[in-house]
Amino acid sequence: MEPVERLYLDALMEDPAVPERSLRPQLLAGARARRRPAAPTAPWAEPYAGRVAAMDALLASAVEDDWSRVIVEGWTLQELVAHLAAKDGLLAASVGAPVLGPAIGANDSLGRTADVQNYERARSPEQTRRDWRAQADALCRHLADLDPGTAANLDGLDAPVSDHVLARCLETWVHADDAARTGGLRLPDPIPEHIHPTADLCARLLPWTMLLSGLDGSGRTLLLTLTGPGGGEWHVPLGVADPAGGGGAPDAHITADVVGFCFLLGGRCDPRSFPADLEGDLALAHDILNTAPALSGP
Amino acid sequence: MEAPYDDRLLHQRVVGGDEAALGEVYDRLSSLIFGLALRVTRDRVIAEDITQEVFLVFWERPLAYDPDRGTLRAWLATIAHRRAVDHVRAEERRRVSALGPRLYEPEPARLEDNVLAADEAKRVRQAVMALPDGLREAVELAYYGGRTYRQVGEELGVPEGTAKSRIRLALRRLADALAEEEV
Repeated sequence: MEPVERLYLDALMEDPAVPERSLRPQLLAGARARRRPAAPTAPWAEPYAGRVAAMDALLASAVEDDWSRVIVEGWTLQELVAHLAAKDGLLAASVGAPVLGPAIGANDSLGRTADVQNYERARSPEQTRRDWRAQADALCRHLADLDPGTAANLDGLDAPVSDHVLARCLETWVHADDAARTGGLRLPDPIPEHIHPTADLCARLLPWTMLLSGLDGSGRTLLLTLTGPGGGEWHVPLGVADPAGGGGAPDAHITADVVGFCFLLGGRCDPRSFPADLEGDLALAHDILNTAPALSGP
Repeated sequence: MEAPYDDRLLHQRVVGGDEAALGEVYDRLSSLIFGLALRVTRDRVIAEDITQEVFLVFWERPLAYDPDRGTLRAWLATIAHRRAVDHVRAEERRRVSALGPRLYEPEPARLEDNVLAADEAKRVRQAVMALPDGLREAVELAYYGGRTYRQVGEELGVPEGTAKSRIRLALRRLADALAEEEV
């Protein structure tokens, strides 16, 4: 902005003009009609509701060509949105929330994805967008009264519903970013309060990503320092059965950017070129990073 | 100029569908946006409509704003200015066509992605020139010279607090001068 423009705006701020009546209530009502706010839900599900709203804002600016463009996994934007709806629907089914779209047949992610994609292909992209948002919001509303420790299952994985919801948050975030990149847009990060619990889930998944890759980290520990807004420090026991919060000196220390780390788990970074500072047992630190994307996938 | 952290956070919250964040943006900037629209349109009702629309557009299409390219204030002011100028031009066209045969060719519509049109920027510069020397120097150093309050103070040989109050006084005088011209 030109200095003279900045000067003009600063001068205007010294001379406040006020509308006859406050436009605020009218504005907020109008806003709700133009773009739906994040669905009201339990505090622990808010990071997910926030990513749903961000994805929806992105989809609102998609034009016809965008919907048929391949984003990831060979899926068009419309198929990608159907995929998100499919997995949200499976989690909804697992906790007794309404399931929208075709009746549940296959109850694994890939099978359900194929079913929902087939169903949505006969509909317009705008309808697919509405169906996905309706499913996500129905799930959010159901979670509002649910205990975060409620058992839930998705793809054979038993975990508290709060962890499944954070995984949905990460996947929605990663796919919104995929779509934004394809469309040449920049999606701002979630707020720090939403990044932190997502990074916490990612940190707690590390023993599992190692184990899935054939490495058993039992008895060993990692000090994980994640930098940037929403970051923090985690002491991670690397065996899936290890007790949490073990004291003592960690075997390895990894320092990395918090958003980069979430995207590493989300399968969007090459572990070999992932920017991180490693200390302690370097071989262990490399094993942790190399296996970190193991749970990512469609 | 990149946006400050506050702007980024409000933008992140609005993208995440947080209505309260829209309310905060409104509380912070509505009087500026309304004042800007009022100066261009000179119509309170139209200025209110434009103000509403500016904040609604930001809520509906938050990804159109890029904090790497400027402040939120400048972004909303640019939208407000564009809409206000559009309104004035449409009014002019309506008036001209109501007069029957065209007596003169109106200026070709040129949409400027600025907060100020060239003639308005000229008026601001003239108003700066008309300030008393002490105030003018402080404003020129701070805005045209990109100095901080402390640097302005050092160059003028006054404490930082004095430099700051001179600049605020200058801004109020500028606001008055620009308002008078419009009457």
